[in-house]
Amino acid sequence: MRWLVLMIALFLTSVVWAADEPIGYVKQVTGAASVTTGDAKVAVEVGTSIFQGSVLRTGKKSSVGVTFKDETVMSFGSDTEFRVDEYLYAPTQGKLKFASKLAKGSLNYISGVIEKLQPDAVTVTTPKGTIGVRGTQFLLIVED
Amino acid sequence: MPSVVRRLKNPGSLRIRSFVILVATLIFTGCASNSYVVLLKSPDGTTGKVTVSGKSGEQVLTVAGQRVPLDGSESAKPESEKEMKADFGEAIAALPKLPVRYLLYFTDGVALTKASEALFPAIIAEADSRPAVDLSVIGHTDTVKSDEYNDQLALKRATRVAELLKEKGLKYHAMTIEWHGKRNLLIQTPDNTYEPKNRRVEVSVR
Repeated sequence: MRWLVLMIALFLTSVVWAADEPIGYVKQVTGAASVTTGDAKVAVEVGTSIFQGSVLRTGKKSSVGVTFKDETVMSFGSDTEFRVDEYLYAPTQGKLKFASKLAKGSLNYISGVIEKLQPDAVTVTTPKGTIGVRGTQFLLIVED
Repeated sequence: MPSVVRRLKNPGSLRIRSFVILVATLIFTGCASNSYVVLLKSPDGTTGKVTVSGKSGEQVLTVAGQRVPLDGSESAKPESEKEMKADFGEAIAALPKLPVRYLLYFTDGVALTKASEALFPAIIAEADSRPAVDLSVIGHTDTVKSDEYNDQLALKRATRVAELLKEKGLKYHAMTIEWHGKRNLLIQTPDNTYEPKNRRVEVSVR
């Protein structure tokens, strides 16, 4: 019984640990921007971590560039709100998914490994419509 | 003053005109809804595909430089350079340096080939050139021996490369070590097959 409890505790720890791993880092920033993960909100600077569930917001005359673990590269213009809904990058387990949401603002996207290994694994939803991506670069803008 | 005079003469026609202006404004802003996607050529020179599904339909972009609205209401048309600069200038300017991937090969165990050992200074220089550089060091093996054995070996290879990079002066913001054992072959082979190209460590520099 004690072993079972220990095993479950270990399992839970590893799950929490996995969710806490950064999935990307900010490489470039101009102006004021923030990243909110759960209850924690931080001002964006070079090196700021992005997690699954993080919401990135840029202000006026502000822009941010982010590189993700799978080598997906994204950059955002001013007045942007972007959320990473789901990011799975475990190639040997066949777990590959990158689902995000651009609520408003602008995005320059360049495909990474997730999308190369599993076409249809990458989607960007917006209030107006949903984008499916296959191995490419695109520009996306959402205005009210 | 003529408009004042007209208003005094016929207030009804002004109301009609205001209504027409209001409707025209609504139609105009509706059409000009500035939410769209532009397909571009990838940095590697290839062009992929973007599918848009919105409330008015589905559209597919396959030609670089073309755009569609996000509601799927219109088919593809070219994006002008002027529009691209106005709408995406900031985002394009904020694009980080593209990630680079190096492949290091092993003769046996954790012994690197001479050619791969010679790559270390280039990897370190590349890392130095990047803001808040983060790296993944990923170990692989060929299919000789068991899964368990190869997972261990792949981890040892990745750890060895990470240590060597640090010894030789690598500075980094974050680094992760991963191992795929024999489950991620570069050259597909049957089980228990010697293949030097599969005995490798990938270093992703971002």
